[in-house]
Amino acid sequence: MRAMPALLLACAAFSALSLCMGPHGFAPGIVAQALAGEETGRLILIELRLPRLLLGLLVGGTLGLAGATLQGLFRNPLAEPGVIGVSGCAALGAVIAFYTGVSTMLPLGLPLGGVAGALIAIMVLLALASRDPRISTLLLAGVALSALASALTALALNLSPNPYATVEVVFWLLGSLSDRSLEHVFLALPFILAGGALMLACGRGLEALTLGEDTARSLGISIGRLRRLAVIGVAFAVGASVAVTGAIGFVGLIVPHLLRPLVDHRPAPLLLISIPGGACLTLAADIAVRLIGGEVELRLGVATALIGAPFFLYLVLNLARRAP
Amino acid sequence: MRRSRTGTFLLAALLAILSAPASAQEKPQRIVSLNLCTDQLLLDLAGRERIASVSFLAADPEFSAVAEKARGVPANRGLAEEIVALKPDLVLAHKYAGRQAVAMLLRLGVRVVEIDLPQDLAAVMAQIAVVAEAVQEQERGRAMIAAIEQRLAALPPAAEPRLTAAIYEPSGFAFGANSLADAILRAAGYDNLAARLGVGGYARLGMENLLANPPDILVVDDTAADRRSMAQEFLDHPALRQRFAGERRVAVPRRLWICGGPSVAEAAALLAQARVQRR
Repeated sequence: MRAMPALLLACAAFSALSLCMGPHGFAPGIVAQALAGEETGRLILIELRLPRLLLGLLVGGTLGLAGATLQGLFRNPLAEPGVIGVSGCAALGAVIAFYTGVSTMLPLGLPLGGVAGALIAIMVLLALASRDPRISTLLLAGVALSALASALTALALNLSPNPYATVEVVFWLLGSLSDRSLEHVFLALPFILAGGALMLACGRGLEALTLGEDTARSLGISIGRLRRLAVIGVAFAVGASVAVTGAIGFVGLIVPHLLRPLVDHRPAPLLLISIPGGACLTLAADIAVRLIGGEVELRLGVATALIGAPFFLYLVLNLARRAP
Repeated sequence: MRRSRTGTFLLAALLAILSAPASAQEKPQRIVSLNLCTDQLLLDLAGRERIASVSFLAADPEFSAVAEKARGVPANRGLAEEIVALKPDLVLAHKYAGRQAVAMLLRLGVRVVEIDLPQDLAAVMAQIAVVAEAVQEQERGRAMIAAIEQRLAALPPAAEPRLTAAIYEPSGFAFGANSLADAILRAAGYDNLAARLGVGGYARLGMENLLANPPDILVVDDTAADRRSMAQEFLDHPALRQRFAGERRVAVPRRLWICGGPSVAEAAALLAQARVQRR
């Protein structure tokens, strides 16, 4: 846990950088303007850049924590919300809630749609993993779920009477933090906090689970309760995150792997430390997409996949080498 | 560049008028339009009985200024196969859409008249003349042009210094220099902020940039709110709502500025009215 202060410090530094950065380059002057009570500065800082920062912290932290939780729960080093299809199904749920108008009728319709999608995906995966615990089975099921979810997302958008549908598919599949508002932060916040608390409560159970299910039971851990905690925690936090930012991949894969050696491969402290880790990575990627620029900003999921996909490949090759 | 383009239009219109008598006897009887902009001119200029089909957008009130007139007219999606099956004797098309269908129709010897994206009001008038000539309704075409010119001339004069305005579209796109919407804004007595910020044609203008350089009036289409889209939701961002509250946010339906036609004068009138109220 010695890494915790350093990670928090890095988070603070990235946060400051994120606030000082607009789509048109660095502008720390905006912060001074806002503090001086000037309207333009206030609107840009509070209504545009602050939600972007808060969502980066919340969603990044969620993805890091969810990755660590899923890797512990499935005892699978490659489990991650995006890779195993949970994010994709959450996006599908949110898309259905948004484009059918449920999210305008029901105040919490959007995050609830995301949560429902995530919950269905993770239940299917868990049922499958309990029958066949091999690492590859979970990943293959994830591939299938992801493909199905993205096809249904595109279909749902195509059937909606929305002239921008084809463009908007990209947001849901690749995610973005740009032009979100404080309303989105408040929509997702309660679900992310509740889900995060549930996942953190899994720490002791996940520690025991590393010794195998039977040993964990003999240590007084209820496997069923542990699963319920983890499933509902991941579904709440990831579902609500994806509902407001789209699916941002690979953060939950990279972060626990990089941080695991720092906590002696123990799942409980890994959960805690993956929160600032995920937040740091997401903020850094979001700063990168703003630096790259372009008329229409690069999607955040593109940046995380550029780092994450090669990393994933490296992990797969490593596993293959170690296998008999 | 723009001048020469306008020149081309005027020339095309002139040629069209000069060559009119030769084909005056045979009015096309099965006219098909492939594009929203030719749809609207066709529906306004030609009798319903001579229109075989218009594009599917013509009946969509979000994009079409004559959606009522299009009701009941067979719709097409610009596919070569469906157009050929209609056996048209005249096809109206846009230079940048339905290229494959147009190529096939030309191979089959069907007469195709194409229009371009108008970038100023002179081009709109030239375009009306071209379509009126093609459908053999020159008289109605001249009346339409006269009505637009009359309505534009009756607009309240612009007061100096001009107010600035920006037409802000879903997802944060704006019309800059060399666009029909820019010409409408200027005719209505505004300075187009997007053009001043370097936006050319139709391009993205980030919300932060817009907030840092706020126009006096923000023009948005709030009529499409029943169609859920993230693009439209963008225009509901609290920062925009706070910065452009009350009469600083003017709602003008986008169907009025998409195509050249009588709707152009209507858009200019609505915008000029908002300018007078704001003074």
